[in-house]
Amino acid sequence: MRFLFALSLLSLLALPAQAQDRPPLDPGVRPVTNTFAITNARVIPEPGRVLERATVVVRNGLIEAVGENVAAPFDADVIEGDSLTVYAGFIDGLGHAGIAEQESDDNERPRDPGNPPREAAGLTPDRDARTLLNPEDGSVEALRKLGFTVAHAVPHDGMLAGQGTIILLAGEAPEAMVLRGASSLFAQFDGASGAYPATPMGIMAVLRQQVRDAERMQTGEALYADNPAGLDRPTYDPTLSALAPTLRGKQPVFFAVDGVLEGHRALTIADELGLNLVLGGVRESSMLTDKLQASGVPVFVSLDLPERPEADSTAADSLGGDTLPTNRRTRSYADIEDEVIALNARRSEAIDLYERNALTLHEADVPFGFATLDAKTGDIRANLRRIVEAGLSEDDALAALTTTPAALLGLDRSLGTVEAGKMANLVVTDGSYFDEETSIRFVFVDGQRFEVDADEGFDAEAEVVVTGTWDYRVISDQQPMTGTMTITDDGGSLSGTINAQGVGTLTLDDLELSGNRLSFSVTSDAFGTIAFSGLVTADTYDAEMTGANIPPLTLSATRRPE
Amino acid sequence: MTLLLSLLLLALSIFPTDAPDEGQRGTFAITNARIETVTNGVIERGTVVIRDGLIESVGADVQPPADAEVIDGTGLTVYPGMIDGGTRLGLQEIGSLPETRDFREIGEVTPHMQALTAINPASTLIPITRLSGVTTVLTLPDGGMMPGTAALINLQGYTPNQLDAGFRGVVLDFPSSARRGWWDRRKPEEIEKQAKEAMDKLNDTWDEALLFARIDSAYQVAPDPKPTPEYVPEMEALAGVVRREVPLLIEVDAAKDITAAIGWVQEKNVRAIFTGVAEGWRVADELADAGIPVITGPVLSLPTRNSDRYDRAYANPGLMRDAGVQVALQTKEVENVRNLPYNAAYAAAYGMGREAALEAVTIVPARIFGVDDRLGSIEAGKAATLFVADGDPFETKTQVRHLFIDGYRLPMTSRQTELYDEYLNRTPGLTK
Amino acid sequence: MRYLFLLFLFAPAALAQPTGDLLIRGATVLTVTNGTLDNADVLVRDGKIAEIGEGLDAPRGVRTVDGSGRYLMPGIVDAHSHIGISSVNEATNPITAEVWTGDVLNPLDIRLYRALAGGVTSSHAMHGSANVIGGQNETLKHRWGLTDPEAWRFEGAPRTIKFALGENPTRVHGRGRGIRPASRMGVEMIVRDAFTEARRYRERQNEYEAARDEGRRMTPPPYDLRLETLADILDGEILVHTHSYRSDEILMLMEILEDFGVDRVTFQHVNEGFKIAPELAAFGAGASIFSDWYAYKFEVYYSTAYNAAILTRNGVRTSINSDSAELIRHLYHEAAKAQKYGGLSDDEALALITINPAWQLGIDDRVGSIEVGKDADLVLFDEHPLSVYAIPQLTVVDGIVRFDRAQDADDMRVFVDPEQIVDEATLNEHHRGHSHDESCLQDVATQDAWWLQ
Repeated sequence: MRFLFALSLLSLLALPAQAQDRPPLDPGVRPVTNTFAITNARVIPEPGRVLERATVVVRNGLIEAVGENVAAPFDADVIEGDSLTVYAGFIDGLGHAGIAEQESDDNERPRDPGNPPREAAGLTPDRDARTLLNPEDGSVEALRKLGFTVAHAVPHDGMLAGQGTIILLAGEAPEAMVLRGASSLFAQFDGASGAYPATPMGIMAVLRQQVRDAERMQTGEALYADNPAGLDRPTYDPTLSALAPTLRGKQPVFFAVDGVLEGHRALTIADELGLNLVLGGVRESSMLTDKLQASGVPVFVSLDLPERPEADSTAADSLGGDTLPTNRRTRSYADIEDEVIALNARRSEAIDLYERNALTLHEADVPFGFATLDAKTGDIRANLRRIVEAGLSEDDALAALTTTPAALLGLDRSLGTVEAGKMANLVVTDGSYFDEETSIRFVFVDGQRFEVDADEGFDAEAEVVVTGTWDYRVISDQQPMTGTMTITDDGGSLSGTINAQGVGTLTLDDLELSGNRLSFSVTSDAFGTIAFSGLVTADTYDAEMTGANIPPLTLSATRRPE
Repeated sequence: MTLLLSLLLLALSIFPTDAPDEGQRGTFAITNARIETVTNGVIERGTVVIRDGLIESVGADVQPPADAEVIDGTGLTVYPGMIDGGTRLGLQEIGSLPETRDFREIGEVTPHMQALTAINPASTLIPITRLSGVTTVLTLPDGGMMPGTAALINLQGYTPNQLDAGFRGVVLDFPSSARRGWWDRRKPEEIEKQAKEAMDKLNDTWDEALLFARIDSAYQVAPDPKPTPEYVPEMEALAGVVRREVPLLIEVDAAKDITAAIGWVQEKNVRAIFTGVAEGWRVADELADAGIPVITGPVLSLPTRNSDRYDRAYANPGLMRDAGVQVALQTKEVENVRNLPYNAAYAAAYGMGREAALEAVTIVPARIFGVDDRLGSIEAGKAATLFVADGDPFETKTQVRHLFIDGYRLPMTSRQTELYDEYLNRTPGLTK
Repeated sequence: MRYLFLLFLFAPAALAQPTGDLLIRGATVLTVTNGTLDNADVLVRDGKIAEIGEGLDAPRGVRTVDGSGRYLMPGIVDAHSHIGISSVNEATNPITAEVWTGDVLNPLDIRLYRALAGGVTSSHAMHGSANVIGGQNETLKHRWGLTDPEAWRFEGAPRTIKFALGENPTRVHGRGRGIRPASRMGVEMIVRDAFTEARRYRERQNEYEAARDEGRRMTPPPYDLRLETLADILDGEILVHTHSYRSDEILMLMEILEDFGVDRVTFQHVNEGFKIAPELAAFGAGASIFSDWYAYKFEVYYSTAYNAAILTRNGVRTSINSDSAELIRHLYHEAAKAQKYGGLSDDEALALITINPAWQLGIDDRVGSIEVGKDADLVLFDEHPLSVYAIPQLTVVDGIVRFDRAQDADDMRVFVDPEQIVDEATLNEHHRGHSHDESCLQDVATQDAWWLQ
């Protein structure tokens, strides 16, 4: 049944169809010029510096000139920048940009859980993120629309998941995206499923085992290379061999940590084994500040923040602002209301810590950038605003998006600032990036211009009804695909299903209504995950569909009358 | 001759070692003892006379009858047998062995499953338990929404019927919003959804029971010539509950579930006893207003929230009682029901006070179960279910010296004491 | 890029932990090793017991606590717990000697504070019992409020490792997965094989190191952290703590240890220890037991709460442990049960939770009794700690008051999860589960769906 559905979807979406069914290949029209000039714009060449009325010239992928007296070249496509602001393109310090989650066969427990195949153990330091890249992956465009132009992309699963790569967030083919390969070894406390090592303490032990054994192996290999006579022949071990650059200090270990305890553990093991550590995906690290300061380990702060419940502010207010009673006693049932107020206040305080995390690191002089790892793309800009509202200056936030990650990733000679000779990675906005009202108008990646559509029609305050049955059509090059979609409201939380006539029903995952924007995703073994996002107006819904295995498509739906 | 006589006396005074030994009935007088009657204060020096299974008389001036075997109670104290308001004793012998676990039947709604049926009177855990002064326990089935009917048993006898102490209650596991343990990683929405589904199922079941009871009543009034009503044993078991003849033992712990359960009980007009009630202190005034009796425990447990004061579970019984709730205690134990006095002691130390804590394991549960005419205090006419200790029975090192259930004087031995006797100075020792 | 090459400036573990000064005046001092002192003063300087006597004066600035009418005993030591660590069982292999709970300390665990409120100042955070040779354990000092895991280590405590015999490993590996051991015969051979391999491994390593030092060319043998650890046991560097119940399996392990020359072992749980008390005493083994747990599984059916008394009377160094986040809160009450069941003296009963577990963990030169020069880990009770009504009032670690019943707030969390609903209740095994079970098998469920019954 599922197979049938998959088949029908694949054919409808016109992927590997019959030869005679293929549409003609339109070669398109070549761009007239690769030169651009943004004139009379407010330019932020680097955090803290402003050129109020300057022109930026981009030619063949590089910034040719920046200045207040620079003229637009004759062959430039001119963007009138009078109301625009130009920033250096943003850099995502750690994430999975361009890399879809691998299909996992976790369901099958290894026959001998104590000795699983190395893939099942999560020991794949030789896995190269470059081989996993997909320019069509939804994350590439989504991050680019937020102003990110370069990302440090790492594989998904396993304690030693593989080697990271630094990519441009644009490109026709995977190869075109790669700025630098094998830029890092990516580690995380991701235990094997039903196999060794399943726990964080197992992972710590395996790290010791692998690194020390790799050192032994190198010693043996060196001896053998010198003179093989009388010595055991070194055997090939892909895991240990892949650790060689790490051991020689050439490759930093990017350790993604969830919570302060994992942070401690990563710092401890890196110190013990002499690894060049970078902490990534850190959400809150106030308890780690001293150690970070002392160790000089840089941090990529997660752009994922805990949600702040609406009731929260009320709780804090009723306690008289930001003072939290430190010695509260709930002596009996009569004090329960006070207890809830105190608990809400403590949670509010905890959320403050997350919002202030970047500020805390800044004040402690711990070098930090930002990481999109685990963050929902839709929340990233709002979260950056929350971080700035919590006290990090816009300049420092900008530095964490541009110059600092460029330096930490060793890219500061070509990236991070708007200056002549650097790669033409730019973000062009109609105001301060950290202002809620501001729209991003253009993003330049490697000199290539991307126009960012304003989110027209989106209304955060709108109240629309989405429950009911919807008839939908997906327009493709082939015959349109039709079916129904049902959304119900179970006491405040939405759920729904989608079906294609006569073939099957799938659940709508991550169903979310924000203002008049409705988004959800659908996952199947056959086509992976497809994300849907679009606006609801009265009884119509138009959504863009993105997924690793489909071309960009649109779904149009109409709701049936009650 | 003297030797022979003393040997004979010795043989009579010790009990045969073949287990189980369910004791001997007779006429006994415990003299010169301190007597904590629970309901009528403390008699500093008095006598309790036991005859035909009952307390014949009790008081400072009572003289031991001529035919009574006299037990010198000098320096000892007499207490009514302690009652544990919630256990699995008799329904489980060894925790990890399914063959010895008889407290759970298949099905969500099985109120007709009778705990008494499966209670093993020969369980080795029973003598171990009663040596601590716990003489009576409520034994409950578990699992599913309505796992069955609980039974109150005395810890003496060879057949379930001989153990039967009269009370029955149907068990309801009230729909819960609490996490079931540290391993419960459900999303809050999932928890809410499942609780709502359970609530719907409970209400549907209740409606069915009402309907069954109405049809059944009509049929009982005039059995002919109507057709015989359908055979629905589950509903037969619930008919007594909806008619308020049988109480419903409602297991409920989280504060908001307790509030919901109070509302439900009032809406359905149920004769309810709440059990567990771990967060009862949070809604103690609501519980007191509703007048619903509570069997809470175990007292020796962790708080339900990380943000809770560390001693919250210890203080819970006292806080509820302060608010005017009728509070009895339970251990929720099987093999260690013997620790009931220590649960009571912790409740006492952390706010309930010793007197109230003693009541909470004697007369209060007796009243809640409607057996206070027979159990729960030292009064003439009540069952001779009592024990004699060398001190406060809540105090850890106190020894129970004599034990009576329904007038049977029980041997002060269990497998655990027998192993002690055998192994303290093992022969052969290191070498044979 | 320059940041990537920065050196690490901090040296973990070597850092001294904060200590305090204190004078506790006029208390009944239960020294455990030197009897009871009525109306005595105990002076603490820099985290150590400096003086015990009468009429001591507090030096300037030193806090004085009135102990009159109160009882001061050494901080309670729990030789078997699983709190304060993020994972308990690496239950994926019958031998996981290389893993270490000390790698996953969690000083944010509120259960540690609750243990402290029960007078427990040190605990042995153990690996679980799923494997025949499980992981290494960590001995903790309950320095609540310090959030760096390094600050929780009992500095200088010997390394220890968890073994497990009987039902747990045979159930998890043998019956659960069809992997040896499925019987107590298999358990024996797992240990013997492991020790033998470890001995050979160490020989190979030594051979290589000798060759290297002499300048002879030799391929280095592969590094194996598991065998390294096992070899350290044989070298006497790691104390063995064995989860065990039945007398036969206890005798079996003692024979193996004798064969391999390992002389320090503590048997954990050891419900049938009373049956072979003379043998345990002759070996010099420790016994760390439950006060009264039994019947939760078949191998503890033939148990007796008189275990502590029989073992003590036969000369076995015995402790009472918790293995439970609840029980750890009232170990003083559990110790008193050895008076009910077998009539131990006050000092004998208190030793079960102080000097004896300290000896089993190899920290008896530092804690476990009130003696001049020892760490100022102390608990002040309102009544005699062996009374059921006793409530710990003050718990002191290294001279610092870490728990004060009169002062502490309700909510003592040091970490607040911003994503948790504030008024959510979580029940525990005590609320619904009825029966005791060891927390020893924690984590196994998440690694093995079959285990969920």
